[in-house]
Amino acid sequence: MVAYGGDEVSALVLDIGSSSIRAGYAGDDTPKAIVSSYYGWKPDASSSASGDVQMDEASGEKQKQEGAEAGADQSTSKSASSNAKLYLGQHGPSIWRHGMEVGNPLQDGLITDFNAVPALISHALSDVMRIDPTEHPALVTEPAWNTPANRERMAEIMFEEFQVPAFYIANTGVLNAFAAGKGSALVIDVGHHMASITPVVDGFVLRKGLVSSSLPKFVHARAHHVLTNPTQTRPGVALYPHQLILSKQPVEPSAPPQFTLREDRVAGTTDTWRSWYENKEVDEWIQTVAGVLNQGWNEQAAAARPLRQYEFPTGYNTYFGSERFQIGEEFFHTSPQMAASNPNMPKNIPNLLSESLRACDRDLRQVLLGNVVLTGGGSLFGGFAERLEAELSRQFTHIKIHAPGNPIERRYGGWLGGSILASLGTFHQLWISKEEWQEHGKAIVGQRCK
Amino acid sequence: MAVSASDIRSALSLPGPSNPGPTSQPPVKKPAGTSTKKPEGISRELFALIGPSAPSLAAQLAKPRLKQKPNLGTTTNTKWEWRPFKNEARSDSLQLCHWVKQSSDIDDGYSFAKYNVDTIIYTYTLDEYTELLQDDNWTKEETDYLFALVKEYETRWYVVHDRYEYPGGSARSLEDIKDRYYSICRKLVRKRPWSGDETTKSQLLVTFEFDKDKETMRKKYLESLDERTQEEIAEEEALFIELKRLEQNERRFKKDRDDLLRTLLGISSGLPDVIPDEDNLSSLSIDTKKKKKGLAEVETPTSPNVISLGPPIPKRAQPVKSAAHDSQHCITRVELSASSANKSHTAAHLRSYKLPAPKAAIAPKVNQTLIELNITYARLVMPTRENSLQLESLIETTTSLLETKRLVDKLDQDIKVAKQRMGIRQSGEADEASMDVDDTHGEDAEGGRSQSVVSTKSGRGRNKAGVHAVYPVHSMTFHH
Repeated sequence: MVAYGGDEVSALVLDIGSSSIRAGYAGDDTPKAIVSSYYGWKPDASSSASGDVQMDEASGEKQKQEGAEAGADQSTSKSASSNAKLYLGQHGPSIWRHGMEVGNPLQDGLITDFNAVPALISHALSDVMRIDPTEHPALVTEPAWNTPANRERMAEIMFEEFQVPAFYIANTGVLNAFAAGKGSALVIDVGHHMASITPVVDGFVLRKGLVSSSLPKFVHARAHHVLTNPTQTRPGVALYPHQLILSKQPVEPSAPPQFTLREDRVAGTTDTWRSWYENKEVDEWIQTVAGVLNQGWNEQAAAARPLRQYEFPTGYNTYFGSERFQIGEEFFHTSPQMAASNPNMPKNIPNLLSESLRACDRDLRQVLLGNVVLTGGGSLFGGFAERLEAELSRQFTHIKIHAPGNPIERRYGGWLGGSILASLGTFHQLWISKEEWQEHGKAIVGQRCK
Repeated sequence: MAVSASDIRSALSLPGPSNPGPTSQPPVKKPAGTSTKKPEGISRELFALIGPSAPSLAAQLAKPRLKQKPNLGTTTNTKWEWRPFKNEARSDSLQLCHWVKQSSDIDDGYSFAKYNVDTIIYTYTLDEYTELLQDDNWTKEETDYLFALVKEYETRWYVVHDRYEYPGGSARSLEDIKDRYYSICRKLVRKRPWSGDETTKSQLLVTFEFDKDKETMRKKYLESLDERTQEEIAEEEALFIELKRLEQNERRFKKDRDDLLRTLLGISSGLPDVIPDEDNLSSLSIDTKKKKKGLAEVETPTSPNVISLGPPIPKRAQPVKSAAHDSQHCITRVELSASSANKSHTAAHLRSYKLPAPKAAIAPKVNQTLIELNITYARLVMPTRENSLQLESLIETTTSLLETKRLVDKLDQDIKVAKQRMGIRQSGEADEASMDVDDTHGEDAEGGRSQSVVSTKSGRGRNKAGVHAVYPVHSMTFHH
């Protein structure tokens, strides 16, 4: 037992991400509960006066979303008030309800709206894991760019609302490095909303070298744009969620879809729910067909790849060729005209890399490049790791990329690192206990969790 | 119900098992103790059927048994307990629970607490600071801040530098911070009273050694190395390869020149015992090695070549001064014949290795002759120069003696044959034509006939006939 330094105290690990909240026991290799961060909510009957305002906001956001610009996530701009009815987890937003809005407490990887967070955590711990949080110390993750106020708020939630005996908040970058078995690493984390590069040295984040951009969101918006706009070979794809489709006939590939909508539902569908489901549809399309070319953009290489068929909920199906690689290419290459037309374009991966390395000490460069850790669900694009290696080896020598092949490890690297950390015997002296919390207050969080 | 083997055999009209005689006698009654013991795992009836004659089958039919489970320590189950524990590394009263063996002692303390070690960070008093540690670039407050940060991150300098944000202070490089910290540590160690001995003190001082200028210079070099463009790198590489090639060329030229010089010097110095020959050989073998191993090896083989060029030059000067010297030291100089000079040099050797020996073909004859003459030459006890010369002349004369004798024998034989032929011609003219044809048949026919003639003679004659076929070849070598 002492040989690997493990000593399990049945701690909980809670990893809150933009797409999902992962919760489980420290020492496990997979989270027990994976709950979507998106939640459905219905405004309280008493506060229906705000309906007009909501409509205005929604239409404004719809326009924003039309373009290629990765605008602010519309779902976070308004949120459930404290007494709204929430629909969480498996039977939450994915079930159509009349007038149900969809929200996400996170924006750019940070929790910006704490109203629904306790409910989400409670859902994961009590409803899915069926445990009593008062019995378990809890390790919570945070992005490297988290604000002190945010982590203090999180500590407050855990101590005051969940009455945990002990709490710790750890950085996802560090945890991803730990999950890869490294103390020093350059963690490239491509998530649902944010792509970040975090240099980690001896388990500490080098804040000066930390860079992040909302690149995945931009790529997602590009994919949405590519799908919904017509091309020479196909019309624009109508992204109706399957909940709104009454019936459909099978059609030949590329033939116009034949389906009827559930008119009774269309009227009661909110824009947030609609756009959330459209995004989900785009995500599914990306996950099924999109990829990255191994060695830079090349028309011939893209055309030489096999076509992939994909069918949308409307029944429309077609073969996707080179456009499925155009999407992934956005991670690594920004076309000049796009950059010119859009001044606040998120930086692509090579830019982020060079920026991060420039900020780090020269002596560290070799250490970091020899321990590149690729993680995050967004990096599961086919060929992403190979392309990253090609990009890196073009600029640097002696690079080594650790990219777990197991999708669970890749997507939940932060949770996995937390699971490792919280099950170590030597870690238990770092917990912020309830006693310390009551004695020192919020300041202890910043002191203890460096 | 038991069916005996004999029943089955009679039903299938088979002969009895081992002794076909008394079939009525059951096999059980055979003399016990031979090999009729029933192996385990076979039912009695089956054993009765197959009998003891099928042991391999019996082994297969034996009931398979699982490997015995390894006995892992105690046989009783260990009781584990979910028990709260107190972590000594914590300053508060947090009680976490973990699983421990029931048998373990509660008062044992937490086994991981011992890993909580603090690094010792130097601190200074206000007096010490005002007296020793003043620096124009640093205020006392900023130095305090630095030491607090170093303590917090336990001298992880990259992290300290990363988190270093002194409000109102100028930007500090990693080298500035390190320099300030280590210089303070050095000063404190030097000025403070030291209880231990001087070596540990100097060892401690060495750990605080930091040369800021050198570090900054190193970083600058590294930076410029990193900031090369692709073209610069490519050019640098090309230049480097070119340089290597030039070096290699030069080395090859030098080696060729050395070889040539050595060859020339070796002849003009007239010293067969100069090393060059072996050296040539070794350099040859190295040549092949070099081809395999590439550039890196080149430097080592050339150096001995260059050095070995040295010795022949002083040796060339020697013969001029040394006639008296030679006689004093019993040195005899051998003039190389022109023919041997044409060949490659002979290596230095012991004279006994080059003792003259008769040619292999006639060696037994030479031996025999010498034995007849009561001369034993087989082993020179002391092969001095004179001795071996004498031996050589002895062998030479013996060989020529033998040759002469062979010539004489041959002539004798010819005369005999001629006489016989004359006799035959006189006796009958009819045979003559066929004999003429026979005569023109050549060596083989001649040899065959002479052999048939000689065979009537003594053993010595037969010996001669054996040599006869070889003879023309010898005569040829003699004449040339």
